[in-house]
Amino acid sequence: MSLLPLILTATIAGALAGSLCGCTGVTCDRLGLRTVAFAVAHGALAGAALSFLLEVNSLVLGIAFALLTALLLGPLADAFEIPIDLVSMTLFSLYNALTFIFLILSPGIVLAAEKVSQVLWGSVLAVTPEYLIILLTLAFLYALFLITFWHRIAPILFDRRLAEAEGINVRAYTYALIAMTGLVVVFTLRITGGFLVFSLIYIPASSSLQLSENMKRIVLLSALLGMISAIAGVYMSFLLDLPVGSSIVICATVILVLASIAGYFRKRSIIRSVS
Amino acid sequence: MALKPETRGYLRSEHAIRLIKVSTYYSGETKPAIRDITLEFKEGDLALISGPNGSGKTTLLETILGLLKPKTGKVFLLGYEVPKMAALARKQCGYLPQDFMKPAGEPFSVKEVVAMGLSSIRPLGKLSLEDWDSVYEVLELLGIRDLANRPFGRLSGGQQQKVMLARALVRKPRVLLLDEPFSALDRESRAYLSEEIIPELVRRGTTVLLVSHDTTFRPPNCSKTIYMRDGIVVRVEE
Repeated sequence: MSLLPLILTATIAGALAGSLCGCTGVTCDRLGLRTVAFAVAHGALAGAALSFLLEVNSLVLGIAFALLTALLLGPLADAFEIPIDLVSMTLFSLYNALTFIFLILSPGIVLAAEKVSQVLWGSVLAVTPEYLIILLTLAFLYALFLITFWHRIAPILFDRRLAEAEGINVRAYTYALIAMTGLVVVFTLRITGGFLVFSLIYIPASSSLQLSENMKRIVLLSALLGMISAIAGVYMSFLLDLPVGSSIVICATVILVLASIAGYFRKRSIIRSVS
Repeated sequence: MALKPETRGYLRSEHAIRLIKVSTYYSGETKPAIRDITLEFKEGDLALISGPNGSGKTTLLETILGLLKPKTGKVFLLGYEVPKMAALARKQCGYLPQDFMKPAGEPFSVKEVVAMGLSSIRPLGKLSLEDWDSVYEVLELLGIRDLANRPFGRLSGGQQQKVMLARALVRKPRVLLLDEPFSALDRESRAYLSEEIIPELVRRGTTVLLVSHDTTFRPPNCSKTIYMRDGIVVRVEE
């Protein structure tokens, strides 16, 4: 059987997932929500692990756990007046514990099962046409959300408190961004796996920050670098027969190193031109 | 729809800001940051709120804006009870916060930061050409037109403070709350702000509340000076 269709769908899925994660990384970073992705991804892992125990569909439970986490994080942090990072990390730890308990209690040698490794490490085999449609829809909705509300989101990314003082509904937009992050994480971790999805979120964002000082350009660059990392990772995975999530992270890290070197020279040239 | 008594009151232009026995606590604190504050400011008032560090000046401004919820008492801003209806009142206010400084990597340009001031008062935040004209006008007014395309994070403290002031002014606010607006400005800029810009705003009917820890400072045409210490108003000079 030809591998070409599989490679093609995996490439498109990687490109979509990479660009989605890239955008999400910048907004999470600016909003101080760096740990949200951890909690959401591990929520999905715990949900999937529970599905093995209950012998039900792992995707449904994974999504349910992750979405519930994304929707509850903001209100929980606000209700108890606890920093959202602290709530995220508490949930992250709890989900890790639950994941291992569910897996240990699951029937059979679950850790060796293919579906468990898909959840933990990701797989291009998980890329089906239906999955591609979901990713495309999500990418469209995310882009629409950012374009429509950018003028309200930008002041929040600049200074939440001041945006609130000027009458912007900071809480609603933040919750919406957390929920979007949750959706991105849930639907990306099928490729990258739950343990590596945040790498695809934060590494391209870090790379883009080295290359520009313009917010719109940073978001677009981050999406582009996420896309390149994911495509390169998918091909590396096929060529060298390596796990796709790990390959994507290695490619994203190489891009970060190159971006940091370019960023170093860019900053030096700015200093030289000023002096 | 019947208006609330306070809203009807405002429509007769009685008070731009009204606080009735307001006490505000920070989360987990047993001592109030401000206590039993009763104050009134009319449209076109220029009030100086003065007092040493920690006396509750910033808390007072944040309580007026509804950013902090008072534990007791009532706050009315432009006739709207805050924090309940704060979003409506805030859209007609300008605010220059005390902690405005951003690090060198801040990825927004000066004109973008000023334009953000208009985002909350435009449908979906979209700006028109006229809006951009007013952004450039206010930059011109503050003498920082040439910085429009510079990244905000690369400016000096004084320049950043002027940009934040421009952001507050571009909203054409009915109430302007300035928290230590001179802290990073040079003497010339201070004089320009306190002797020309603020009096002009007041003349046009803007209510200006100006917070300063410098007890010797008093702007010209100041209609009210409020001295605070340990969270209470110790003296009001009309």
